[in-house]
Amino acid sequence: MSSLLELDNLTKFYGNIIALEGVTTTVEAGEVTCVLGDNGAGKSTFIKILAGVHTHDAGELRLDGKSVSFPNPRASLAEGIATVYQDLAMVPLMSVWRNFWLGQEPTKGRWPFKHIDTELAKGVAKEELSKMGIDIRDVEQPVGTLSGGERQSVAIARAVYFGARVLILDEPTSALGVKQSGVVLKYILAARDRGLGVIFITHNPHHAYPVGDRFIVLNRGRSMGNFAKADLPREELVQMMAGGAELDQLTHELESNSDGNGGN
Amino acid sequence: MTTTANGETIPSAGDERLAYRGVGQRMLIRPEIVGMLAAVLLYMFFWGVTQPFGTAGGVATVLDVSATLGIMAVAVGILMIGGEFDLSSGAMTGAMGIVIILLVKETGELGGAGLSYWIAIPLSLAIALGIGWLNGTMVERTALPSFIVTLATFFVLRGLKLAGSKIIVDQIQVGRADEGRQYEFWQNIFGSSWERRDHIWEARDGVYTALCIFGGIFILLALYEFSFRRSSILKPKGLALLLVGFVGIGAGVGLLHILDGTDWLAMLVIGVSAMLAGVGLGIWRYETVPDRGSLTLGPTVLQPIGKAFGFLAAAVASALFFDSANDTDILPFVTEQGLRAILFLGFLSGAIVFSLVSLSRARMVSPVAQGTVLGLTAVVTFAVALFIQSESQSAKFRSELFGMLSILALILAVWAVALLLFESRRFEDQNADRTARRVALLGGVLAIAGVLTRLLFSIQAEIDAKNPSVLATFSIRIVWFVLFTAVMAYILRATPFGSWVYAVGGNKEAARQIGVPAARTKTQLFMLVAGAAWLVGILLAFRLNTIQAGTGNGLEFEYIIAAVVGGTLLTGGYGSVFGAAIGALIMAMSKQGISFAGWNTDWRFVFLGGILLGAVVANGYVRKIAESAR
Repeated sequence: MSSLLELDNLTKFYGNIIALEGVTTTVEAGEVTCVLGDNGAGKSTFIKILAGVHTHDAGELRLDGKSVSFPNPRASLAEGIATVYQDLAMVPLMSVWRNFWLGQEPTKGRWPFKHIDTELAKGVAKEELSKMGIDIRDVEQPVGTLSGGERQSVAIARAVYFGARVLILDEPTSALGVKQSGVVLKYILAARDRGLGVIFITHNPHHAYPVGDRFIVLNRGRSMGNFAKADLPREELVQMMAGGAELDQLTHELESNSDGNGGN
Repeated sequence: MTTTANGETIPSAGDERLAYRGVGQRMLIRPEIVGMLAAVLLYMFFWGVTQPFGTAGGVATVLDVSATLGIMAVAVGILMIGGEFDLSSGAMTGAMGIVIILLVKETGELGGAGLSYWIAIPLSLAIALGIGWLNGTMVERTALPSFIVTLATFFVLRGLKLAGSKIIVDQIQVGRADEGRQYEFWQNIFGSSWERRDHIWEARDGVYTALCIFGGIFILLALYEFSFRRSSILKPKGLALLLVGFVGIGAGVGLLHILDGTDWLAMLVIGVSAMLAGVGLGIWRYETVPDRGSLTLGPTVLQPIGKAFGFLAAAVASALFFDSANDTDILPFVTEQGLRAILFLGFLSGAIVFSLVSLSRARMVSPVAQGTVLGLTAVVTFAVALFIQSESQSAKFRSELFGMLSILALILAVWAVALLLFESRRFEDQNADRTARRVALLGGVLAIAGVLTRLLFSIQAEIDAKNPSVLATFSIRIVWFVLFTAVMAYILRATPFGSWVYAVGGNKEAARQIGVPAARTKTQLFMLVAGAAWLVGILLAFRLNTIQAGTGNGLEFEYIIAAVVGGTLLTGGYGSVFGAAIGALIMAMSKQGISFAGWNTDWRFVFLGGILLGAVVANGYVRKIAESAR
């Protein structure tokens, strides 16, 4: 049986710059694949290829076993690959339910009187959010009044509702505090449990490890390996993220001064 | 867990859910709330200082002036919600007027096209939409600020109007819309007016009073339904009480009518009956409050009460100090009686604002605190009504203001008692909300019908008194204004397109990412503004018959001001159609009010500037309160 999404030696050049080289991993339905990497590691390029902003130059991208390439974001979206960007596709001054349905409002009635089915829209928004375990007080409140974590969760719920099979989350926890990050991680698991293949992009191994089933670490455009969770203890992941030997050195230096701290 | 005795649960650790938002708070988050308050205050102000304001004739004039401004303000407001400006909108109104006249004109040589209005009207609409499309497409393609692009269009149109008129008719004005073919037919649609001169209905005031009272009762019913928690069983005892109250109110109004004016017995009957009805309604449908809480009024509540009394004292003092019979100027352009009215109403508004502040704070304390403050407000309101009645030399002040304030005091008193007796709703109740909305709508329709009755009919006594302002002429522009506003409000609120307008104004990139056709939406908005300019152009052509080349130039900022006064955010993504319409009303009122008052109309701009600044500040302030109250 083929995986939901397979990346086989995916490579991307910008002119003569190698942005991404030889990235291989799989995304299974109901699993979380974490993509880790420091700034400039190629995470953005990785997302853009999957989201259809750029096309890859070499290697193969297989969806349900078929080789594909997305010429534009719409094509990617049409195949059920939804991307929740870091800056969020949300309009802060609009209510939660209007944001949830934006661009695909349910309507009823015939033309001159064709209008949004408000009750249905509000009901579905509320229900979908609560299915994800999101307790929105009032779907009428503007998104701008929600916390960062809540906004992420609305974006995730929206992607899930509109038929996403693969959910790409671009650094969803990077701007959040500890508690809010925990909330978002919970939603990631909720999306996974609803059978989506989740790609979780982050630079924080402590966020990735508890939720991930599979890890791929990028460094300067190259893949440093593609691991199943069982093959990769947490410490090793943390170390790999921070640059292995360099971190050992750093830890050593710091510890000789005071009690040092690794990753994070 | 902290629970205020009001039944509101203040969120505490472990409970993230917010308390149910009351009607007041829901109103507060509407963009047009400041505009509405400003409109009411302004109306009161001019009603106090001028003679024709408040008469049918005065209202007709204000509405007529606001119509063309309002149609444009609504369209420009929607465009601003969509995050763009159109500086060519003013010039476009005149340009469209010129275009339509040129299309129907039949003068030889280089005259117009000589088309029938049947062809010229759709053709000119197509031209307008074309200009709008061009504006939108240029903004989208060049990605330049619309401010710049439409500024260019403005200058082009301005030049074209001038040069075109000179070339074609050799004048800087284009005239004689009435020479076109089928003028008479289209005159009915765009240029007619409706004179209310000899429509006498002696029962007018009775009908007006009855409709307003029943409208008020339904609105109060809706307020109950919005605010109180429904009981699981209906208690017929309460219904009986409610009906007795209704009968009593009816009897009281009848008594008032027979006894003519202010009769203590009639007022007592109405007051007691209203109280009975209010309590009966509560007993019938709603839960009684389990715990009224304590009456501990801290400084947060008491301070604004103190300020309110201060303002009240100032109002009374200014009324006593100045002579209400003196109509000579004591300040430039202001008579002593005018100054007295201004000061009195101004201080009174201050008192109202602070009593509202104290009320909203008392709400956080307990029902008994809220009820007490509200009851106090009711008593003071009635005292003010009595003061006005005893003091004022002007019959207008005496009868109308006294009646209005007494009714307000009565409503406040009933509401205060209801708050003490019945339990506020804590959570959403969709069914109750829906019922309440429908009942409120019914009440609003009744009240509007009452006001229309008052405006559209005269009584013989008024005709005999030869008061010229009873002769009202309503122009068909008003119908266009109301229709356009209603349709646009519906579109913005209820259709996907409306949602997209808010989205492209609020966060264009996000809207595009998620699949909103952002460029198309914005282009359609520019076409909407152009379409509105076409409508206004035709209305101008049928009204003025001759359009100057400069007509409409410079008015674009008035449209923007109207929209901003109505709560539209300059940065886009926030605002409302009703707000823009109300903004236009405010501007028309200030325009007409100043000329009714006999002041130099140059002051209008000072006034407008003040209103704009005040409205922007107040809008920002209220929005902040509303956001923090969520």
